[in-house]
Amino acid sequence: MMSKGPTVVRDFPRSHGLASRKSFLTEIQRLTRESYRPQIVVDLSKSRNLSPDAIDLLLDCVEHVERADGRVIVAAGSPETAVILELTRVTSVVDMFSSVSEAIGGETMPPFEQYEGSQPLAA
Amino acid sequence: MELGALVVTNGGDGNHQTGGAAASFWSSSWPVVGKTVLQRWIERVRELGVDMVSVVNRDVQPPVRMLDWAKEGVDRILLIVSGSYAEIDLADLLDFHQQGRNRITRVFDKQGPLGISLLDRSAVLKKGIRDFQSFHSSRYDFSGYVSRLSSTIAYRQLVQDALEGRCGIQPAGLQADEKAWIDPSAYVDPSARIQGPCYIGAHSRVNAGVVVTGYSSVERNCEIDIGTSLDHACILPDTYLAAGLHVKNSVVDGTRLEHLDHGVTVDLAPTGLASRRLPSRSEGSNSLSQLENSHFLRTPFRGVRPLEDPRNDV
Repeated sequence: MMSKGPTVVRDFPRSHGLASRKSFLTEIQRLTRESYRPQIVVDLSKSRNLSPDAIDLLLDCVEHVERADGRVIVAAGSPETAVILELTRVTSVVDMFSSVSEAIGGETMPPFEQYEGSQPLAA
Repeated sequence: MELGALVVTNGGDGNHQTGGAAASFWSSSWPVVGKTVLQRWIERVRELGVDMVSVVNRDVQPPVRMLDWAKEGVDRILLIVSGSYAEIDLADLLDFHQQGRNRITRVFDKQGPLGISLLDRSAVLKKGIRDFQSFHSSRYDFSGYVSRLSSTIAYRQLVQDALEGRCGIQPAGLQADEKAWIDPSAYVDPSARIQGPCYIGAHSRVNAGVVVTGYSSVERNCEIDIGTSLDHACILPDTYLAAGLHVKNSVVDGTRLEHLDHGVTVDLAPTGLASRRLPSRSEGSNSLSQLENSHFLRTPFRGVRPLEDPRNDV
């Protein structure tokens, strides 16, 4: 059985302008370059309305992570977000959970400082 | 003996129920495979030979008409408070009332009153319209098909029962397949897969690659765009759905989607995934503006599992 890669939690940007989009994707690209089979938990709990731009950004993220043989796990945060993700079939390319802790599922996290810009799990 | 029928509606703006994150936007004006429950009640009353039928809104216009009718000499009044769909044999109800020499007969099923009463003129004149429910009444027990339409889930169940043939509702339209009803004025692309039981209403468009399955209904003047799939879904009149969506266990009215599993209502307007079509009766109404407004049509999803070519299944 292949070993799992590191699990990293990233907040999904609230704004989907060019700058935040670029910053988010740069971070994802760096993670996928530096790790083998990474598992990126994208926390959508602070994104109340998923715009088309937000879904595009999420799919860009999936594309980068899949190139590194990793996977994206989405912590939807709200049933409304979960509905939009299902409706747009994004759930066919990501795993979805209601919260970050559920998404992590008790897995051991790598040391926080290993990934600059990544965030610790909520207590 | 003159009979009048008064149908009291709950209002057309919907019965918004909130509870936690859930918000149901159920409305009694929603059609059930082609016709509203109200229309079906009126048809059934007319089948009795009753010409004096009046529909009033409980919120806007209290049923004072009942009292007016009694004063004008109408002998019996059939009062239907439109909150349920019940396949009562109205002729049998009239016989029961007459043979028992009742002044008021109220219809019950095993869960309680159904909001259907038959009143003699004398009872209306004596008690007026406010107090007649406290008046001694005879009970007519009904054990047939009943749907208490108090929520979106109940509405969805009624649609499913109609398509499955578990109740007497006949979908309006031609039966194209064993259990697929398609209105003659609807357009269904040859590559769309219509897997009954399901219903496609008048002047609706089902575009290429669309899949309609699982007791889904598309009411009048809707457009379901390329590759979208409907599974256990009701699409209410004048709704446009963008391309590539997967609508499951949901009721969509314009830009509002109620997901029955999650118990939430989502406004799809900011996402551009759905919109309200102009209520046009003609086929081929201009849907170009809606196409232009949909982000997802200009920028199709990437990384999304493609639909199987429906032509392979024919």
